[in-house]
Amino acid sequence: MTEIVVEVKSLVKQYGSLRAVDDISFDLHDGDVFAFLGPNGAGKTTTVEILECLRSLTGGSAKVFGYDVTKREDVKEIKKRIGVLPQEFSALDKLSVKENIDLIGGMYQKKLDTLEVIKLLDLEDKTKERFENLSGGLKQRVGVAAALVNDPQLVFLDEPTTGLDPKARREVWSVIHNLKRLGKTVFLTTHYMEEAQILADRIAIINKGKIAAIGSPQDLISQHGGRKTLVVRKGSKELAKTLQDKYGDTTLAQGGDVVVKVDDVKEMWQLLATLTDMKMDKEIEIQTPTIEDVFLKVVGARITEEGELK
Amino acid sequence: MIRPLVIFSAVTKNWIRSRSGLFFSIMFPVLLLLVFGAIFGGTGGTSASTLFVQNLDRNSGGTTTQLSSVFVEALNSTKTFAIKDVPADADPKVWARDNLGPLGGNIRIVTISKGFQNDLLNGTFKVQVGISYNLLNYTYHYLPLNDTVKPIYEQGLAQLQQYNETLPDARTSLTLMFDASDQSATVIKNIVISVANAFNYRIIGATSVIEFKEESVVGRSYGAVDYYVPGIIAAFIMSNGIIALTSITSEFKRRGIIKRLSITPLTKFDWIIGNVLSQTLLSLILTAIMIFVGWIVFRVQAIPDALTIILIFLGSVMFSGLGMVLGGLVKDVEAASALGNAIAFPMMFLSGTYFPMEFMPSYLQSFARFLPLTYFSEGLRYALIYKYTEGVLTNMAVVSALAVAFIILGSVVTRWKEK
Repeated sequence: MTEIVVEVKSLVKQYGSLRAVDDISFDLHDGDVFAFLGPNGAGKTTTVEILECLRSLTGGSAKVFGYDVTKREDVKEIKKRIGVLPQEFSALDKLSVKENIDLIGGMYQKKLDTLEVIKLLDLEDKTKERFENLSGGLKQRVGVAAALVNDPQLVFLDEPTTGLDPKARREVWSVIHNLKRLGKTVFLTTHYMEEAQILADRIAIINKGKIAAIGSPQDLISQHGGRKTLVVRKGSKELAKTLQDKYGDTTLAQGGDVVVKVDDVKEMWQLLATLTDMKMDKEIEIQTPTIEDVFLKVVGARITEEGELK
Repeated sequence: MIRPLVIFSAVTKNWIRSRSGLFFSIMFPVLLLLVFGAIFGGTGGTSASTLFVQNLDRNSGGTTTQLSSVFVEALNSTKTFAIKDVPADADPKVWARDNLGPLGGNIRIVTISKGFQNDLLNGTFKVQVGISYNLLNYTYHYLPLNDTVKPIYEQGLAQLQQYNETLPDARTSLTLMFDASDQSATVIKNIVISVANAFNYRIIGATSVIEFKEESVVGRSYGAVDYYVPGIIAAFIMSNGIIALTSITSEFKRRGIIKRLSITPLTKFDWIIGNVLSQTLLSLILTAIMIFVGWIVFRVQAIPDALTIILIFLGSVMFSGLGMVLGGLVKDVEAASALGNAIAFPMMFLSGTYFPMEFMPSYLQSFARFLPLTYFSEGLRYALIYKYTEGVLTNMAVVSALAVAFIILGSVVTRWKEK
């Protein structure tokens, strides 16, 4: 059993009449990439900032490396051990990449060599470039570099790809994969389904301050993702009828595609065997549920590109 | 002590590389010094005030009389005025307005009345007869005269008095017209009166028995620019602390830079000290450049000593602390800038920085005693110009107390943890 890095129990954060975080509990294990997935205003950043000792909590408890986020002496220990990429990371415009990383590094007694971190983030050719001249993706990489300069065991990445173009987003994903490879524990917040599914070992779906579901992507999909789908391209009425009789839940879609839904992998194999026996030569496509389907199921809505519920 | 130095290094580099920051922190004060120096220091020659003169005292041929012309020359010899003649048949107000030129200016008109020369001569003659009568009268009363001379004096005095009474009581007049809003009008009026009096004495044949000498109250001889150098330095150390630092702090806050730093082991006290050190360096650079430019261009003789440097350090701490207080209180950059300006500008003009406080009404002078800049600017002037150690130390004590108070208050209101 791996060590528990973050332990949150019945955490509550209240702003006046608004309960931003409503009695949530979860653990984060050493070496995991943990994703907090939810729309804007769900309570993701508030939770993360409580764990970063940046906000006070209203109720419950939160421990990082066993240190209590509410105790002054513990906070010092937590700050030494965590690295943070805040939401909408920014740095001093007129300073170079290296100088900005040095600035954050200068706050710690124990730190990595800045050039080593720059190399790790593949920023070597931008070492002397001023922060103001960097693209959005490069700025985020500088932010991640700054988060790693104190060689933290736990890295918080708050919405690391929001506002980035697809190419830059994939660059950041690659960085997060590298963090996982380096054995870092990563706490990621995002409203991008694909991001959470690709990067995370465990996902917590959060909405209106509450955790709606938590588990590995596979577990969440199998528990909440719904049925698997097989599509036979350009089928026929006869085929649709045959499959309906045998498996039920079969429809003939516009364009002649026959869509069959089955409950599990075993039934999918049976369906494929049936099609083989029929000497079927049509193109087929197997569609498995995604985290988006899980989210739709547990929250009852989708998230837009901007992070809003729809 | 390492973390404040890291902050100091980073924010200083960030400032030095910012062209706009550099301009408003260093170049703008230097430009202001050059402008003030040029206006009040007389560099490049002072420009004369336009004075319109309408001479109505003319001979039958239409030419101006000799004495009225000499009077105009006397006005001209002061080198204070650029004299423009107004034709005798023109309405002087209309003519002056139409002839001010494209850039306009103030209308000041002196009209020499018709009969100026005759009245002046007649009046002068009567005054001289009166002087002769007085001289004889003094002699008659105070000198021991024998009985033979006394009747002759008495007869002469009676004849002189009788003659003087027959002379016309002639006086001539000059009319000075000016705009009530013209701030230089009083000065110009007094110059014209002085010229008229001197002209009057010369015609009578009197000479002044009062000799006028000019000396500086300070050991060395200082010019007007020397007064402005400490004032401008003080004002810009204040504005860099209040306006610039407040804006920078709120900008860093808006962009999440302070938030990012607060997640590290950096304390808010480290952050404040780092910024204060940076502002102090900026203040010392500003002072050095201002004194250097002042010396090169205006031969300013303000020499900073150890007390000056200590005072500048304390002033920087005081205003950086105030900047931190304001930066901590306001939420957005616009509000920070507005608040900084709202505090800095009145302070700049009410603290005796650009002109002596004696010019202000007494209630404003009392108010100025509550402004931090008053003590800093006065202390700096004592340190740089008057070398008045006791005055420097008194002001330094107030600045030190305020510096400590603002730093403590800044630490309290700077939010290092979100709600």
